[in-house]
Amino acid sequence: MLEQVHWIPLIPLLASLAILFGGKEGPHSKMPLLGVAAMGWCLLQSSWILFHALTGRYALPYYHTIPWFSYGDYVMTLGVLIDGPAVVMLFVVTLVSFLVQLYSLGYMHGDPRLKRYYAFLSFFTAAMLGLVVSSNLFVFFACWELVGVSSYLLIGFWFEKPGPAYASKKAFITTKLGDLGFFIGLMILYTQAGTLDLSMLAERAKLGIEYLPLEVATAVGICFLIGAAGKSAQVPLFIWLPDAMEGPTPVSALIHAATMVAAGIYLVARTYFIYDAAPLAMGAVAWVGLFTALLAATMAVVAYDIKRVLAFSTISQLGYMMLGLGVYGYTAGLFHLTTHAFFKALLFLGAGSVIHAVHTNDMREMGGLSKRMPATFLTMAIGTLAISGFPFLSGWYSKEAILHAVYLHNPMMWLVALGTAGLTTFYMFRLVYLTFLGQSRDHHRWDHAHESPPVMTVPLWTLAALSIGSGFLLEHEGLFAKLVSFESGHGGGHEAAHAPVWLGAAAVAVFAAGLAAAHRLYGRGDLSLAKSLRERFALAADALEARYYFDDFFLWLVSLSDRLAAAMHWFDDQIVDAIFVDGWALVTRAVAEAHRFFDDFVVDGAVDGVGAVTRDGGGVLHRLVRGQVQEYLMYVALAMCLFTIILTTR
Amino acid sequence: MQNLLTLAPEMGLTVLAFLVLMADVVMKGRSGRTLIYLAIVAAGLGLGLLALAYNDPAHYQGVGTLWAVDPLSLFFKVLTLGATLIVLVLTLEYRPPEEHAHPGSYAALLLFAAVGMMLLVSATDLLLIFLALELVSLSSFILVGFERGNKKSTEGAIKYYLIGAFSSAILVYGISLFYGAAGTTRLVDLPQMLGGGAQPMFVLACLLITVGFGFKISMVPFHLWVPDAYEGAPAPITAFLSVAPKIAGLAVMLRVFTFLVPHASLDLTALFSVLAILTMTVGNLTAIFQNDVKRLLAYSSIAQAGYLLIGFVTGDTLGREGLLLYSLAYLFMNIGAFAVVIVVGNEEGYSLEAYDGLGRRNFGLALVMFLFLLSLAGIPPMAGFIGKFYLFAAAIKGKFYWLAVFGVLNSVVSVYYYMRIAYHMFFREPRTLEPAPVGPALFSTLALTTIAVLLIGLYPEPFLGAVALSAQFLPLPPLP
Repeated sequence: MLEQVHWIPLIPLLASLAILFGGKEGPHSKMPLLGVAAMGWCLLQSSWILFHALTGRYALPYYHTIPWFSYGDYVMTLGVLIDGPAVVMLFVVTLVSFLVQLYSLGYMHGDPRLKRYYAFLSFFTAAMLGLVVSSNLFVFFACWELVGVSSYLLIGFWFEKPGPAYASKKAFITTKLGDLGFFIGLMILYTQAGTLDLSMLAERAKLGIEYLPLEVATAVGICFLIGAAGKSAQVPLFIWLPDAMEGPTPVSALIHAATMVAAGIYLVARTYFIYDAAPLAMGAVAWVGLFTALLAATMAVVAYDIKRVLAFSTISQLGYMMLGLGVYGYTAGLFHLTTHAFFKALLFLGAGSVIHAVHTNDMREMGGLSKRMPATFLTMAIGTLAISGFPFLSGWYSKEAILHAVYLHNPMMWLVALGTAGLTTFYMFRLVYLTFLGQSRDHHRWDHAHESPPVMTVPLWTLAALSIGSGFLLEHEGLFAKLVSFESGHGGGHEAAHAPVWLGAAAVAVFAAGLAAAHRLYGRGDLSLAKSLRERFALAADALEARYYFDDFFLWLVSLSDRLAAAMHWFDDQIVDAIFVDGWALVTRAVAEAHRFFDDFVVDGAVDGVGAVTRDGGGVLHRLVRGQVQEYLMYVALAMCLFTIILTTR
Repeated sequence: MQNLLTLAPEMGLTVLAFLVLMADVVMKGRSGRTLIYLAIVAAGLGLGLLALAYNDPAHYQGVGTLWAVDPLSLFFKVLTLGATLIVLVLTLEYRPPEEHAHPGSYAALLLFAAVGMMLLVSATDLLLIFLALELVSLSSFILVGFERGNKKSTEGAIKYYLIGAFSSAILVYGISLFYGAAGTTRLVDLPQMLGGGAQPMFVLACLLITVGFGFKISMVPFHLWVPDAYEGAPAPITAFLSVAPKIAGLAVMLRVFTFLVPHASLDLTALFSVLAILTMTVGNLTAIFQNDVKRLLAYSSIAQAGYLLIGFVTGDTLGREGLLLYSLAYLFMNIGAFAVVIVVGNEEGYSLEAYDGLGRRNFGLALVMFLFLLSLAGIPPMAGFIGKFYLFAAAIKGKFYWLAVFGVLNSVVSVYYYMRIAYHMFFREPRTLEPAPVGPALFSTLALTTIAVLLIGLYPEPFLGAVALSAQFLPLPPLP
């Protein structure tokens, strides 16, 4: 199965092409089943690989390439590199994709463009899986871009509405800004190291060959971090993710919670040896992660749109992963990536189930839904407990691991990260209280709400089970650490060291505090206390609701470049066009005039005799002799003379 | 005698072409399609013979006195005969304004032209080169003017003929001067005949020969017949002319000027680089102003010849590989584009407006046309990109920086007019919503070319391997 791993991205690709070009479009199209079946196979294959890798039956990393194209001595390869993180990512991506495709059968039921939706979804998964398995940063980058394109297509799936159309553009352009950084990094890396093959790069790093001087490694690391910040919504490029929630909710669950946004984290993890060699870049990763985690968590506190709360939460958790990686907690960061994929996909799909039932995103119009939708409520409660770090659920294990690594690296950072964990608990329980508990605030909506069909709740329960159990299973006997670990060449190595025992107790205490605050403010059914607080701290709340004015800053930037473009256009229109286009026309005209002159007075005089004959010979010949062929031949004769003179008098 | 056998594909094809011609006489112009089928079979047999020769190294003969059968010539033979075959298939579904009177002679002439090109890419003697070139030219003149009721067709044919005759005269003059200077027309004898440096007469001879070739590959400033001939000719013949004779002409130039005439005795690199730049630039800039798709693609094909000339100028292994690779890519993308032109032209004619809203009428057709246009513009991941990448990189490695700069700038310019077609296809309102019908022959051609364009672009390594094997001359025979 491992030898056939290249089929994992190829099968969804073929499925997406088949769905796109085959079958009939319409709300009752049967083509989606093909996508589900393809994902089912991929899930089986990746589970098989994961199982065998965990039990040590596969020798990792598995590396296999074929030449893709060669130029002179250089050969660009196309291939797969399957190491521990890749195995885990394969499983996560295929599992969430499969569940989301299943769930979408219910959620998107009756949409007139069902076939197109599934084609895009499969295409996204193919690109994402290609990114995961690729052994070559160039192919990685190509898939990275394809992932961005499919994200654009899916966010703007309901393109006739202005919101999604705007959001898709914003997402594409913002991430593109990050991609530019990634691309520059790639070029620097290629010119310095002469290869983009991950396996070769890592090999050289391991042998301690000075293939990258410190400053180059730092530059490449920072550039890749910019790319990762775009894709994984880190400060300051996170602005697209909250708006991306305009897309269908299953898409948010798949792309903007579990898989694509993890690509940036995965990029840092795949090129970890570069960061390991560049402490400055590593530090940047940690600080960017910390800021993102904190800022996003504070923004989540004031949001009322259920999906936006989850979006901010995603940003915050991604920041956590970055932070984990940045403090040499390689295993911890990727562990959190894995568990987070499960519970965040669960939360999004749960939110989708709620939205499906009440047809609104605004939590102020919900309340008391637990009675109408027990399955959704229970599973979302499990997800909330998991993300808040309730002991022995999956989130607790991974968050503990990160906090542990952070504490050993820098206790001040640990304090901030701990506070963020408290905020997480607070806003997640705020979400649960506002949505499911208390009294209904909109009776009309409440009356019409109903539990979602099994095709939607089964994925919820599956993910809920994983949110509970995956942490324990993977932590058990250090399975995950065995699969995913990084032997640092410099510094680091904190993971093995021991931290004080009270770290865990502090985390639990913070969890309790967050829960208590949420209960005090939102647990009693009346929101007056929350409102009065909102008024007392109006200035801060305004800043939070405006997302710290990052959007305004970028809009200002856009308007600036708009004005610049206008100026360029003026230059182009008035000056370049005048010189080159009109000028070219002018020259052509002048040449033509000169010809006519020559023709009229010199050639025609000679041709007139012949002309008299041909005039009677018919229209075509007439036209010929009037002007063209002899003109052509004259050009040729002139050119020939010119060349002869040049060549023979040299 | 054994030597003669290396030309078995050419000889076989000639015999079959005569059979087609005689069948036409017997059938008196009835059931024209049967004759085209017959010609397709003949071309297929020829390709089979070539494939046999390809796989049998004992068949390679190296450079003889008159011709050379080596991987390079076989590569170009397969390319030109393949192009002929595809064009014959295209003809099946081309609907001319009036029925062709002699479909058999049409098919036979195409086959004769193919034989001419196959001889041309093998030839190592100037006289054989001339004869082969004339065979191609004479067939092409008639084919361009095949629609006798169409004034444009006749006009194009006459212009093409007049200019072609003129260029042949120049070529013959060049050859006679060459004989005067070197005492031989056999290029293999050249090194020992020539002795010391180049005399002015020899330089002039080579220059005139270059001009003669320049007409065939539509090198600026010898390109002026191209737009009229391409516009007037039946669309499949335009497809044929824009690809096959051009590639064959480049192949013979490659053999003559980078291999047989040693650089030591005559270095025309500077002249050729100027001509390459001129060819690209004039072709592209003029294409911008065209409103007839056939004329637009005619100027585009002039520009494409300019890119191909880059590989010829650098003349080293990489440049040669680039030229071969780009020829291969160009064959598929240009014929593919013309196949779409034929589909649209059958219904709506050849103006740009005929493409309005094609995306709405037949999305698949518009999509493949878009792919061909992207490939012609050299945008990844299409075949054209890989080819251009090779050519430009060869120019940089060979330190012909200006060639690379102009090549890239010209590619940018070309995007504009290629995308004009795309604009008409996708952003204009269709004048009619009737789907444009694609029959089996056109469908198979489009499928083949699309797959080839994508495959060469996405997974080029096998093609690169084949090209690298083909891009070598066999060594000259030892001096007696």
